[in-house]
Amino acid sequence: MGVLKPFEKRSELAVFLLLAAVVIVLPCLNGMTGEESGWHVSNFKLGVWGKYLCFAVVAMSLNMLWGYTGLLCLGQCLFFALGGYAFGMYLMLMIGDLGAYKSELPDFMVFLGYEQLPTHWKPFYSPWFAILMVMVVPGLVAFIFGFLAFRSRIKGVYFSILTQALTYAAALLFFRNDTTFGGNNGFTDFKFILGADIREPSTGRWLFVASGILLLTVYWFIAWLLTTKFGKVQEAIRDSENRVRFSGYSTTHFKLFIFVVSAIIAGLAGALYVPQAGIINPGEMWPTKGLDIVVWVAVGGRGTKAGPIIGAVLVNLLKSYTTREFPEYWLLILGCLFVLVVIFMPDGIVGLCKRTWVRFVRPKAGSGPAAEEKALATESS
Amino acid sequence: MSRFAALFWLFAVTILSVVGSTVVRADESEARRLLTEVILYDGERQDVAVEALGEEGAEIIKVVVEAWRVGEVSTTTRAEGEELALLKTPEGWFNILTGDEEVPSGEVTINRPSRKLRKTLKQLVDLLDLSSSDPAERIAAVEKLGLRQKAEYVELLRERVTKQTDPKVQRAFEEALSISLLVNGTVEERLQAVKDLGELKSFPARDFIDVLVAENEAVIADDAAAEEDKEAAKDLLAAAVSAKEKIDSRQKAVEVAGTIFRGLSLGSVLLLVSYGLAITFGLMGVINMAHGEFIAIGGYTVYLVQGYFAQTFGEGTAAYEWYFAVALPAAFLVAAFFGVVLERGVIQFLYRRPLESLLATWGVSMIIQQLIRMKFGAANVAVSSPQWLSGSVEMGGVTMTNNRLFVIGFALFVIVATWLLLTKTNWGLHVRATMQNRQMASSLGVRSTRVNMMTFAFGSGLAGLAGAFLSQIGNVGPSMGQTYIVDSFMVVVVGGVGSLLGAALSSLGIGMIDQTLQPILGPVMGKISVLLGIILFLQFKPGGLFPSKSRSLDD
Amino acid sequence: MNPPVYRDTDLVLSAESVTKSFDGFKAINDLNFYLGEGELRTVIGPNGAGKSTFMDLITGRTRPDEGTIVMHQADGHDIDLTRLQEYQVNRLGISRKFQTPSVYGNHTVFDNLLLSLNRSRGVMKSLFYKMTAGDREEIEEVLETIRLADRKDDEAGFLSHGQKQWLEIGMLLAQKPRILLVDEPAAGMSDEETERTGELLLSLEGKQSIVVVEHDMEFIRQIARRVTVLHQGHVLKEGSFESVSKDPKVIEVYLGRQKHDDAA
Repeated sequence: MGVLKPFEKRSELAVFLLLAAVVIVLPCLNGMTGEESGWHVSNFKLGVWGKYLCFAVVAMSLNMLWGYTGLLCLGQCLFFALGGYAFGMYLMLMIGDLGAYKSELPDFMVFLGYEQLPTHWKPFYSPWFAILMVMVVPGLVAFIFGFLAFRSRIKGVYFSILTQALTYAAALLFFRNDTTFGGNNGFTDFKFILGADIREPSTGRWLFVASGILLLTVYWFIAWLLTTKFGKVQEAIRDSENRVRFSGYSTTHFKLFIFVVSAIIAGLAGALYVPQAGIINPGEMWPTKGLDIVVWVAVGGRGTKAGPIIGAVLVNLLKSYTTREFPEYWLLILGCLFVLVVIFMPDGIVGLCKRTWVRFVRPKAGSGPAAEEKALATESS
Repeated sequence: MSRFAALFWLFAVTILSVVGSTVVRADESEARRLLTEVILYDGERQDVAVEALGEEGAEIIKVVVEAWRVGEVSTTTRAEGEELALLKTPEGWFNILTGDEEVPSGEVTINRPSRKLRKTLKQLVDLLDLSSSDPAERIAAVEKLGLRQKAEYVELLRERVTKQTDPKVQRAFEEALSISLLVNGTVEERLQAVKDLGELKSFPARDFIDVLVAENEAVIADDAAAEEDKEAAKDLLAAAVSAKEKIDSRQKAVEVAGTIFRGLSLGSVLLLVSYGLAITFGLMGVINMAHGEFIAIGGYTVYLVQGYFAQTFGEGTAAYEWYFAVALPAAFLVAAFFGVVLERGVIQFLYRRPLESLLATWGVSMIIQQLIRMKFGAANVAVSSPQWLSGSVEMGGVTMTNNRLFVIGFALFVIVATWLLLTKTNWGLHVRATMQNRQMASSLGVRSTRVNMMTFAFGSGLAGLAGAFLSQIGNVGPSMGQTYIVDSFMVVVVGGVGSLLGAALSSLGIGMIDQTLQPILGPVMGKISVLLGIILFLQFKPGGLFPSKSRSLDD
Repeated sequence: MNPPVYRDTDLVLSAESVTKSFDGFKAINDLNFYLGEGELRTVIGPNGAGKSTFMDLITGRTRPDEGTIVMHQADGHDIDLTRLQEYQVNRLGISRKFQTPSVYGNHTVFDNLLLSLNRSRGVMKSLFYKMTAGDREEIEEVLETIRLADRKDDEAGFLSHGQKQWLEIGMLLAQKPRILLVDEPAAGMSDEETERTGELLLSLEGKQSIVVVEHDMEFIRQIARRVTVLHQGHVLKEGSFESVSKDPKVIEVYLGRQKHDDAA
């Protein structure tokens, strides 16, 4: 059981196993039960939940920064979208000549009058290169930006504002037609992924499983990271950066490292999101998207392992419900929810559960994993 | 096209109704008589009338000629046998002779001028404006005439140049004459014309001089050309090149001046939208993400005030013209009121927690945006500018629109007023004390809750003012403030948090740089460069232009 | 100009002709300061005398406009501190305690000390660091010294103010520094705690060089060996506590004002 060692509390292990069960069971229900069965999970539903898993991963990546290191990045959507674009380039090339213009070039290039594929597009015929870029591009952007920002000691709100400006600038850039990324419309109409038809239910199942594995890996990785001295330094930076610096740690290096890792994770989430959503466009890196991710983390509970997952899933469930039932009120509800969470529940749902647990259920503080899980479950249902 | 026609008709009807309902003005009555003659008769009688018409300068001639050309002049015969020329408008028929409305009793035949007559009349109308009483119209007419470079106008222009008393008009006439002479004159005349144009630094002439340069270069290069011609061509070429240089250098100067003006006005807009933020963020440490929505609140207040004025006084009345003067303070007060609500309802729980204030106000921003959408709809609403804001002034070739001039003045006013408030009033003293040391100030008897509330209200009020102003240069819509929010944060960060002077300088600087880069890089790339430039700037001055000296912000 | 005092003995730190101004205001003005090996030095001075700025300059938090600050290594090498960043200065063996206690509130007391050990402080090393028995022993030792052994598993945020001060001192000790810079260690402590803190500092004398910045006169009397009085960024007087406290200039700028403050 060495792999499970990072989980300090049994509740964390339980969450991990629960997630693993979901990742296995949902695709099975989709593939093995008939549509008439009460247990059936439709292709559509599975696709939606696959996207939620990706949202959960990007929320976790933000939590690494904000929850554990105290760096509120308002541009996490940029890394998500960059990963999505990198993988989207591969998917665009896989359309081949099945596009509307029957050309080997992606449709938007034909439309914009390109004669041939731009050089930087060519390596994207290889899925492996694309996956590499899914990590390298966001990582590199984070490295350059983080290097500049942390070196000159930009922190707190300033860091937040600058990350917002960064994603804003990037969105403006991607909205342009001449940057070879499809302008406004971005990439869409994907046909094949790794040789499989993207619309086949089995492909959907595999994408779901891949997203789930990513989620579990990231969950495990963060848990492991927090048990290391690195993780402790990370939290120490959040609480008293000066003390850390005066204890012989280069906080710049630590922050840069975590920023790059977090960007890579966000990029991977974006890469898995794009084939499931079927589209990627510059709207995904608009500053409001970055704030959306912050909302998920805040609602779920920042600085907690399960919080971002709960937050991402719950907020998105709420969104899909309210936009369907009362489209007018969605933003209103989200806004109110957020204000209330910030003022009254600074640690989000998970924090609230923990406090309720400690105060009412078990006045003598201690970790009773099973009961804590139960408290969590009742709260989130 | 239909829009143009509608405008035209509006114009025509106004003239006819004003004229028609009362006594026909003396100078118009002759023109009307002649017009009727021209329409109803032909042959010699028509020629005489046309010639006489050339001496008249009445506005009605243009209207009728244009209408005649597009088939909206008809003739009819009254019961008693009198023939009438009628002008067709959406309102009905008007008798051209009298200007009265006419209900035709007999058959109405559309009347069209012959091709030859159309040409004569066109010319007549062109020249008509040359003698218009409005200098601006005269200038426009003569410029148009000059650009056509028609030989037949040369004499006429030459004759009239000297008659002009207004120097601006005279200059325009000279310019037009010289441009005409470029092709129509003798060699000497052409040479002189080029030189004159150089002296006049005439922008419209530049293209024609280019043509001249090309022509003469061709002559010089042409082996078959006579030596004499080549000499002349060389002289002309030299003169043309030097004239072009003069024009270009002036053009550059005007461009620079124009860029400075646009930069100044963009800077002023940025200053207005960010000053409120500089106060709430800089002085209070509160990141108000709903700042953009306060801007929108200001914009919608103007919309409501305008609506009220339109309803009470009617659009276009003198009182209506002043709605904006009422809307400005109203926008300030309404936004300030909402500011108080936000401060009491949310912000007061979040002092000293800047990141959380950022998040909570983001939620508030969503709420306000949605409320606006529900109340006013998702589409932009129309806010019209009062007359005194919609014109423009020209100075040394730079056109400055009144609203841009106004925003510059207004920004200055805001800077001065804020400075006075903060340094000369008791409240300002309390604000500065609280911002420096919250606990100390409150223990010295400053009621910090009140100060906070007032300061936040003031910052929000400024956002409202900015919104009121933006309603005059852009759209009023639920997300109007969003466009500016990133820029305003940049302004504050570059200026140095807590420094209003810094905010003022940085907004001007960013405005200038933006406007300088835009013509070179295009609007989007220009903006991106500015954003990246700011990130790099902070490498060297992480605290902005005027870093905060307070120790408490250090950690 | 103050003559070099410890020139003939072993110096560990020398600052010469150091000047630093902020927007024209000279916070440090032609300052000369020498610290001997194992010396316990007390620095006093009125508010705004430049005490904190001086510490910032030594630890690399701010850079001087002029002058040199040099650390003399045991192997005879001199290292210019003005070019280094805080973490590099710290790794040379200079530790600093802040005015307000700064500990990691969400970590246990034990982890606070663990993070202060002077090893595995790079990104990669910290990722794969494993605590050894020796590390644990060191930490236990410090815990005994600062009398927090029974609280080692509690989160530092729950400690009392005085305990936090001690924990921070403990964190400095865990770093095994050659020089300790201690800013107002007695602030917010009870009399008994203050006294114990004094004893602790005295017990370190000779083993480590210590610079203590203090306001509390009672406490200074307890620990004072050699006292440096700063005034307007310059050394006004240096000497024993008695000689300094009798100096009329010192009384005027510092003690006099102190009395005024007390009266108010």
